[in-house]
Parts: sequence; C-alpha cells; structure tokens
Amino acid sequence: MFKKLIEESTAKSPWLFHINAGSCNGCDIELVSVLTPRYDAERLGVKLSGTPRHADIVVVTGPVTVQSLPRVLRTIEQVPEPRCIVTMGSCPQSGNVFRGSYSIAGPLSKYVHVDVDVAGCAPKPEAVIDGLVKAIEILREKRRAMN
Amino acid sequence: MFSLEFLQTALLYLGYILIFPGFLFCFVIGLLLCGIDRKAVARMQKRVGPPILQPFYDFFKLCGKETIVPAAASRTTFMMAPLLGLSALVVIQLFIPVFNFRVFRNLPEVADIIVILYLLLIPAVSVMMGGAASGSPYAGIGLSREMVTVLAVELPLVLVLLSVAKTVGNAMGTGLVFSMSGIADYQAAHGSLICRASMIPAALAMLLIIPGETGNHPFDAAEAETEICEGLLAEYSGAPLGIFKLSHAVKMLTLTSLFVALFLGGIGSGVVRLIAAIGLTGGLASAIALLLQVLIMVLLCIVLTLVTISFVHAVTARLKIEQLFKYYWTVVTGLALISLVLAWFGK
Repeated sequence: MFKKLIEESTAKSPWLFHINAGSCNGCDIELVSVLTPRYDAERLGVKLSGTPRHADIVVVTGPVTVQSLPRVLRTIEQVPEPRCIVTMGSCPQSGNVFRGSYSIAGPLSKYVHVDVDVAGCAPKPEAVIDGLVKAIEILREKRRAMN
Repeated sequence: MFSLEFLQTALLYLGYILIFPGFLFCFVIGLLLCGIDRKAVARMQKRVGPPILQPFYDFFKLCGKETIVPAAASRTTFMMAPLLGLSALVVIQLFIPVFNFRVFRNLPEVADIIVILYLLLIPAVSVMMGGAASGSPYAGIGLSREMVTVLAVELPLVLVLLSVAKTVGNAMGTGLVFSMSGIADYQAAHGSLICRASMIPAALAMLLIIPGETGNHPFDAAEAETEICEGLLAEYSGAPLGIFKLSHAVKMLTLTSLFVALFLGGIGSGVVRLIAAIGLTGGLASAIALLLQVLIMVLLCIVLTLVTISFVHAVTARLKIEQLFKYYWTVVTGLALISLVLAWFGK
C-alpha cells in the first residue's frame, strides 16, 4: 500500500530543473510561461526547483555547446533517481540552425538517454505541458520499476 | 514491577506525543495548512493552483526518491539534522495549550514561554547544521542569511512574549507570568488578550513575525531558490528533504497556534459555556468541548495562515537580507516595544 502511495505521489508532484545548454533564451521564456496564470502547470504539481537535487524532471534547452556539455552531464548526474530527461525545442534534438557548427556537441541523445523530446522553435506552452505529462507517465513507470 | 497506573500514564503520554497534539496532528494539519497556503496564493494570482493535498504528495514522493549524500558532507550530521528540527517542533506543539486542553495539566510550571522560545530556535539551528554539514557553498551563503534572519526575528519575538507575560502578571498581581497554562487560564477567565488596547501592537508584531520565523515570502532570503539554489537545502534530496519540508509546514502550525494561545485564548471558554448552556455534562460533554476547541483552533490557524503567509506572499517580492534585518529591528520591534511599555506601566 505504501509503495502504491509513493508511486501515485511521484506522478502528482514532478519538480522541474531547467538547464540552459547554450539556448537562445526563447525556449527558456516559453518554459517559464508554462507556469504563468494562463497555463498554470502547478495544477499538475509542477514546481520549478532551484537545485538539481530536488528535481524529478530535467528540462534541457539549447543545442548543447562544447563548453556546456560536461556541465550538463554533471548536473544530470546530480539528480536523484527516479528522474526523467526532457529536451525542449529543436536545438537539443537536432542542433536546429546551429547544426554543423564547430562549437556544437549535440544532439543530447548521443550522451544520455532522453525520455521525451518536445520539438519546436520555440515549442508552444501546450506542447511543453503535453511533453511534461508524457514525462510524468514515464516517471511513474520508473518509480514502479524501482525496488 | 510497574503498576497499572504508571502504565496508563505512560500510554497516555505516548498518545500525546505520537497522536494528538504531537506527531500525527502536526503532520496532517501542518501539511494541510501548507496546501491551503499554496492554493490560496494560486487563487490570488488568478491561477487554478495545485490540489490542497499537494504537500502530502510532495512528502510521499520525496520519501520514494534516492537520497544522495555528497562526498564532502559529514554523513551523520547531514542525516540527523532534519529529525532534530522536526522533533523540536513536535515538542513545542505539546507545550502550546489548545484552549482548555493542556498536556502538562498537572505540572503548570513545566510548559513555559521561555522553553518555547528556546525550542523555536532548534529547527532553524538544525537547518543550519544540516546545510553546513553538506559542504556546499550555496549552503554557506544560506547559513549566514538564516543566522541573520533568526537574529532579526528573535528580538521582537522576545519583546512580544515579555509584554504578554507582563500584562498577565499585572492582572494577576504576580509580576511576570511565563507559564503557558497561566496565560491560558487568565484568558479563559477574563477574555482574550487581543481585546486589550495595549496588546494590539504586540499582536500585530506577532503577525509580522510569523512569515519571518517560517521563512516564507518576502522573508525567504535564506532559501532563495532563484538566487542561491535553495540555500541551506541545496544538497538535500529524498527523505531528509521531505522531513525539512514537513518541518517547514509544521512550523506554520506551531507559530499560528502560538498566536492563538497567546492572544485569542478566550474563545475556548465560550465553547465550554455553550455546552454547559445546552445542559450536557460528564465525559461526553468534555469530549465534545475538546473536539470543538480543536476545530476552532485549526480554523483560526487556517485564517492566520491565509492572512500572514498567503496574502503577504501574493503581494510582495523577496526582501534583501539587510532590508529584512532593518525591517524587523525597526518596525516590528517598535510595535512590540509600544506594547511592552504600555504593559509595564499598567493598562
């Protein structure tokens, strides 16, 4: 019963941590707009946390520059299990307009397992919320798989 | 061999500690207050907001998360600090009378304001200990800010408690009354202290102390999540973090119920009189009276949380640490001093 309670709670309180891996700031603004009165992701229990240690879902924006890659990987490692990685925007998925540049190390999926990709430049808040809901389901599955 | 009577008393006190004014009560009502606060803030910002039970979900989720202890941390202190803070808060809750209901009914001199003052420091100190043990530089900044916050809030709090003690002492003719049950008895007989003109500034000061002591907006410089990564809690994860979040919620209950016990203690005697008027007597009547008093207490705590924490959160932005310090040592201390002077010279 206690296990079930924790599983349900995990699905109802996903805390986000946002990593900017060289983003142009467009996606970052769209992510914040998800928490505004109009879209209010807090009704799903979503909270933006200030440190990776508190997070359940890591949102990565930007094309993962060579400079940011080791920091991104280190930050993701600091997130306790169960965790979910969501990429936001086209950049971490494909490199977008920066593809082929000497300073780009992405896509992110070359280095870590990415659970959900939200494409778009920048994605609409509705798309972001949809991605978060998918990530929450994966989070629940991951919690169930633990012990 | 233990006598039956001893066993009974031991069980009764165990019940006090674990269930009614103790752990279970604090857990449920504290997290409920926290949930109501989050919902109210959301509604004030025209959002739908999280469900009222959100803090319960957060707590149980954190119980199921992996607990990471940083390599630089001192493991024992890091893991024990949250428990220390929570247990201190549960002990305070035992000392705060719920109108006529007192845990230490037979030992009126045990439950005393000064002990509460000391115990209120322990949760803050435990957060500082845990943060310092984590070895994070963010926690270092948070530590110095938390220390300043505690210093800032402590002075007006002492003055408020002193003016309450002096007012009750003057009325009883015994100098200063520090005993919590003495204050509760006086209010049950002579009406709430907030009805006295000289106590209104102290009550206002106490209302302003509540968000500072719990570390809520705008006095959350020590845990600024957008600025110093949650400060002292930066390295905490999993169950210890959940216990810190729980202590934060219980602290809201502790401070609001302390306010009720200090300034609104006269309301409970109305319930007793009402039940006597209906004509109920005996065990049933006292059970109903207790239930009603607890209900009124919880409702008052909810109202106080909405006024002092939610409303203030929704309309203000975070203060810098020096602004916080200045605010408490001028405005709030000034209010408390007015009350103290009025109480000292009688009426």
